[in-house]
Amino acid sequence: MTAAPRPAGPRFWITTAAGWGLIGWGLFGIVSNHLDTRPADLARFVAAGALLHDLLVAPVAILAGALVARAVPRRARGPVQAALVITSIVALFSWPLVRAYGLAANNPTSLPHNYGRNLLVVLGLVWAAAAGMVVVRLKRGI
Amino acid sequence: MSVRLPEPLQRLTTDPDAPLRQGAYRSALRDERLAAILGAALGVLFSTCFLTGLYSHLHQHPVSWLPIPPRPAGLYRFTQGLHVAAGIASVPVLVVKLWVVWPRFVSFPVARRVSGLVERIGLLPLVAGGIFMTFSGVANIAQWYPWRFSFTAAHYWMAWVTMGSIVAHAGAKWAVARRSLARPSRRPALADADPDLGTEAEDGVGTGLTRRGLLATVAGASGVLTLTTIGQTVRPLRRLGLLAPRDPGTGPQGRPVNRGAVNAGVVDLAQSPFYRLEVTGRVARPLSLDLEDLRALPAHDAVLPIACVEGWSYSAPWRGVRVRDLLDMAGGEPDRTILIESLEPRGAYRTSTLNPGQAADRDTLLALYLDGEILALDHGYPCRLIAPNRPGVLQTKWVNRVVVL
Repeated sequence: MTAAPRPAGPRFWITTAAGWGLIGWGLFGIVSNHLDTRPADLARFVAAGALLHDLLVAPVAILAGALVARAVPRRARGPVQAALVITSIVALFSWPLVRAYGLAANNPTSLPHNYGRNLLVVLGLVWAAAAGMVVVRLKRGI
Repeated sequence: MSVRLPEPLQRLTTDPDAPLRQGAYRSALRDERLAAILGAALGVLFSTCFLTGLYSHLHQHPVSWLPIPPRPAGLYRFTQGLHVAAGIASVPVLVVKLWVVWPRFVSFPVARRVSGLVERIGLLPLVAGGIFMTFSGVANIAQWYPWRFSFTAAHYWMAWVTMGSIVAHAGAKWAVARRSLARPSRRPALADADPDLGTEAEDGVGTGLTRRGLLATVAGASGVLTLTTIGQTVRPLRRLGLLAPRDPGTGPQGRPVNRGAVNAGVVDLAQSPFYRLEVTGRVARPLSLDLEDLRALPAHDAVLPIACVEGWSYSAPWRGVRVRDLLDMAGGEPDRTILIESLEPRGAYRTSTLNPGQAADRDTLLALYLDGEILALDHGYPCRLIAPNRPGVLQTKWVNRVVVL
């Protein structure tokens, strides 16, 4: 089912021109500050981020969604999906901290917490909340 | 022009002009209204990051036609705390937004019109830029640098690319977003709207999170990340900062530092008996003061924040000599830019400048004491710059020269 294509109006072309103007300014800045921005390096890194999402993160998320839809009982499905989404995002965010990739030598104030333990605490609370929601749903007979 | 892909691939691709939910992507969460809400939220968060980021850039790369005033004293602490918090909060919104609109990334043909092709090409800098900005920002606050380019330069220039893509994307999606946001929020049950899906729903397939549930999940994820990190700058929430890269109460004299004396290579120089503070440049009477001289000068107290570009901050009572008093003593030319130099032998932040307004502020000090104690070596002993409304990296430590430019 193909919706009737709407012709692009002036708004589209004005914002496109303005947007690509800004993009051009950014690219110009990257090239003209090449000693700092290392354009080839940067381009590889930017492309790697997008490819990592498209070829790994997105397919894994789609597969995980399909798996949950089949394996998790109906009443638990929503809370489990929510908890899985939050778990993956919080874990991804805190991974550099947990692994202490950026730990500075000679600086006791760098990464001062036990991030592995703290991540488990946070995720434990998230899953406890999800479990609580499942219990409520079962009681209400939803 | 109808090019057909081989069958297995064909099943995974989508029609660029059909609604989001189509073909193999049957979840009711692939929804225009959801995409518009998440997009609007991302637009607000990224614009907040962009504007606060520009402000931070202007601090670090000052221009003479727009001098940054020294007041309000806590402004940079607020804007940079907001920059990092908004960036962190945008992570879940970005991830889920990409999932919701995934069918648009795999449409084939790529486009049917010139405008569609232009819009599709614009998705490259939009998606790649959004991912780069959040990833590099999150890595930076964890002080993790898995790249060879300069973080500040790349993050700054890529921000223009990303913001430009957002402008183009917002214009391209304006009509469809407005239409879907204007729809009444209570929509027919899925079974009525789509008998196919409704039947599946009875079988237990295709149910799970509702659209509202997914929005609540995004808000929940952003909330968890915000609550567990914001304590690095909002002091009352310090105890909740389980995933915060810094703790505003941990460090020498109970305060964190980004770069200590050992890593800056100043341990011996800073403690040398031959230490002198020189006030020089366009001055009538160059000064050379040892630590005793400095301590004998009239001292002033000021409660000022150290606000790191990485989003952590603390406010503390400082005591030291006013920069403007030193300039008066030396007979410095008025209304000049002042260069503050550190004992650090190298590094991008071994110097900083004060514009005339900043140099003249009553609270712009070369601090000798923190919390009533002599400055710890890691905090810039024997003396450091502390001035209102200023990024932490420009509060130069281990100061040994004040130059009137």
